[in-house]
Amino acid sequence: MSPLAAAAVVVALVAATTLLGVLWRSRQGRVRTTVHPALVRPSDVGVDGGFGERATLLQFSTEFCAYCPATRRVLGGLAGERDGVEHVDIDLTNAPAVAKRFNVLQTPTTLVLDGAGAIRARIGGAPRPRELAERLDQILGETHVAA
Amino acid sequence: MSQPEQRGIDPRGPRFGAGITAVLLLVTIFLALLPTAGAKLAAFVLLIVIALLFAWGTFAGIQRHPYGLLFKNLVRPRLAPPAELENPAPPTFAQFVGLLFTGVGVILGAGGVEWGVWLFAAFAFVAAFLNSVFAYCLGCQIYLLLAHAGLLGRSRRGETLHA
Repeated sequence: MSPLAAAAVVVALVAATTLLGVLWRSRQGRVRTTVHPALVRPSDVGVDGGFGERATLLQFSTEFCAYCPATRRVLGGLAGERDGVEHVDIDLTNAPAVAKRFNVLQTPTTLVLDGAGAIRARIGGAPRPRELAERLDQILGETHVAA
Repeated sequence: MSQPEQRGIDPRGPRFGAGITAVLLLVTIFLALLPTAGAKLAAFVLLIVIALLFAWGTFAGIQRHPYGLLFKNLVRPRLAPPAELENPAPPTFAQFVGLLFTGVGVILGAGGVEWGVWLFAAFAFVAAFLNSVFAYCLGCQIYLLLAHAGLLGRSRRGETLHA
């Protein structure tokens, strides 16, 4: 390969990687609404209890996740400000079965469960706080009306 | 987790180091694509050096990486204090992933597989560039994928990553 062609390959690689990064960043932390018939129980993720009466912010973390501590603070704050909402953080470092069951491929991944335990939303990456708060309040509103 | 050096690190340190690594990997790729034997040899040697630096970061921990010292002594004094400190385990894991990629490239290069050098340098470049520019966290994105694939077992993880 000539030096010019080699330089072109290098420039193309930088451009492609930049595009990849922009795409990745645009998807990170988005709140996706999900419809799941199955209900999640505390035992499914290896805890005894601690789920909220009205909603649960179920966070999956590992030891090698740089954004999990910040996410923990955001979710803890959102849960703390609302009655009947709990934040539960599950460490998947040594729990590959739980990761597989909920198809968690990146951390943090957050599931928003309603009072019954149905998965109502899913966030891959550090959640965008305002977007998540809106979705959470929407779910809480529905529950309130139903009850 | 109880070791004293497991305290938080400035998250900008590993990103600074990843930037240097990304530039070195680009030079490696460029040299490996040139037709002359001398350039290919230089690319191979450079990839070995980069792999050794990843090995340093993996086994000594990101806090003792030479780029980390460079950052601490030359760059950080010129910056405002970090907004928050980070656990060193995720960037140390990222060093391990870098070691895997460049290690395969070195092994292929040593076996006479010329494309192995630029291909695996390119994989490592993508990871290092995303890490540096976009704050992409390899530990967040890759750890569970590797665990899924059965490449990281419970026992192995403790040995290789908490060195």
